Amino acid sequence: MRAYVIRRLGQFIPVLLLATIIVWAMLFALPGSPAQVLAGEDATPEQIAAIEARYGLDQPVWLQYLTWLGHLFQGDWGTSLVNGHAVAQLIGDRLPATAQLAVLAMALTLVIAVPLGIAVGLHPRSWYGRLTNGFLATGLAAPTFWIGLLLILLLSVKLNWLPAASRFVPFWESPVGALRHTILPALAIALHASTVTARFVASSLSEVMHRDFIRTARAKGASEGTVLRRHALRNALVPTITVVGLQLGSLLGGAVVTEVVFAYPGLGRLLFTAIDGRDFSLIQGSVLVVIAIFIVLNLLVDVLYAFLDPRIRFD
Amino acid sequence: MRTELLRRFLTDRWSVVALAFLLAMLLSSLLNGSLTGFEATATSSDTLIGPSPVHWLGSDELGRDSASRLMFGARSSLLVAAGSALAAALVGVPLGVLAGYFGRAVDAIAMRIIDVILAVPTVLVALVFIAALGPSTTNMIIAIASASAPQFARLARAGTLEIRERDFVLAERAMGAGHLTIMVRVVLPNILAPLIVQFVVTAAGAIVVAAGLSFLGLGIPPPEPTWGGMLQQAKAYMYQSPWYGIFPGVVLTLTVIALDRIGASLRRAMGSTQDLGRASASAPGRGAT
Repeated sequence: MRAYVIRRLGQFIPVLLLATIIVWAMLFALPGSPAQVLAGEDATPEQIAAIEARYGLDQPVWLQYLTWLGHLFQGDWGTSLVNGHAVAQLIGDRLPATAQLAVLAMALTLVIAVPLGIAVGLHPRSWYGRLTNGFLATGLAAPTFWIGLLLILLLSVKLNWLPAASRFVPFWESPVGALRHTILPALAIALHASTVTARFVASSLSEVMHRDFIRTARAKGASEGTVLRRHALRNALVPTITVVGLQLGSLLGGAVVTEVVFAYPGLGRLLFTAIDGRDFSLIQGSVLVVIAIFIVLNLLVDVLYAFLDPRIRFD
Repeated sequence: MRTELLRRFLTDRWSVVALAFLLAMLLSSLLNGSLTGFEATATSSDTLIGPSPVHWLGSDELGRDSASRLMFGARSSLLVAAGSALAAALVGVPLGVLAGYFGRAVDAIAMRIIDVILAVPTVLVALVFIAALGPSTTNMIIAIASASAPQFARLARAGTLEIRERDFVLAERAMGAGHLTIMVRVVLPNILAPLIVQFVVTAAGAIVVAAGLSFLGLGIPPPEPTWGGMLQQAKAYMYQSPWYGIFPGVVLTLTVIALDRIGASLRRAMGSTQDLGRASASAPGRGAT
């Protein structure tokens, strides 16, 4: 187990390095330079050259990459090409907002997914099982941004209950304000994400229900409720942790489209702004953070999985 | 065997309905305006009206008929769906078969690259590509295909690894067949089932991601109507015309449901119980959150 964790950690740095190389290669293979964007549409070649010299964009790509990497190791993430702010600062400012959205979204996802998963897993042929299946198929197909749009239409435009555009109100400052501003995007994500999670709950539950230990529990006279709670769910929820962990990982990296729909100031919208404005240093930095978060969550999920299910051994 | 497959596929009533829906969509997208009486780009003074006998699904801010635009928009959606799934398969499958067949260094390098791409949400990979290449239909296909190719590579590799040492493959080798012949004529046909399912899954995902990109203003540039682009416009006119933002989403969702259904039914018809396991888990949701 320990050897496994160490080996996975050992892969962490190479994978991140590889990611940065791929992103650099992609960004620099493209027509049109960042200097061009910075200088504007009708800049003279001299102006572009001046900007290139100022940001070191006239250097060979590999040299730029190595310089960037060197600075990164010293804690210097560079500055935004567009507004001159420190990249690390910009990302750091957005992380709490994204974390709050991700946590709330995952909490809602579980609240929706577990009961639905149980319903489908236990009685797939019943009327509510079929109804839930229909909901799951629809929720899986409907894109989050459209669900978000519908939620805004209903809860903000029609009923005027919640603000259509979200601000970031930290939970520790005003729990109610935080909920008001985070619940819509979180619900939009949850309605979509829960369909995936619910399917996992359903399939592992229906698999577990046919195992011998369930029959044993029933034979001992345990009530159906106890069988479900004490025996079936505990075993069925272990595989679900995998998918929930991965969902959390991808949400912590910023839900790009959802954050843009709700004008929510998280990492995803920062990345979108960076990509839209071709802010190379900001793209580099934020992609690195997104991938790092995802890999770390992936690792945590695998370790937790092994911890919860001692039968799993990693060689 | 093929007719048996088709028979099993057709016994699922809903997948037949789904197929019919997609075909109807494809047909109506080819008849620009002759069904509704309006061309997709023809403007009028009836702006932002709701559903009516004249404009079945209402009109947009320039008085263009929403039904016509939705039908026309199916063109780019279906094109991007088929195009990116095809391109992803063409890149991913050979890579996966090569990695699985030769193993060792080729395998190690290919799988690391694939792991990295899989670690990034699809929409993000697509975003970076669009930022790099600029918005257009072709670039959208390239972007989504690049993000989806790793899934094909993974499946193809897993399949190849599984049958690489099987007797019938070894027999071919013993009879003097070259590596290329074995890969194309022996390995490929035997690992096809999960790949076909993945093709449909990718197509469905591509529609959602493409709409997401258009919604962000990074899709196919106007005036060509796209579902995502319509939703982006609709967001600005939510207070004036709520219908505007509802129909494109409904059509999009129905299309994706239809593709999902066909995918599920194909999986069953081919008896592929292959558990996608972590491969599918690494795409939590549709990838366009």
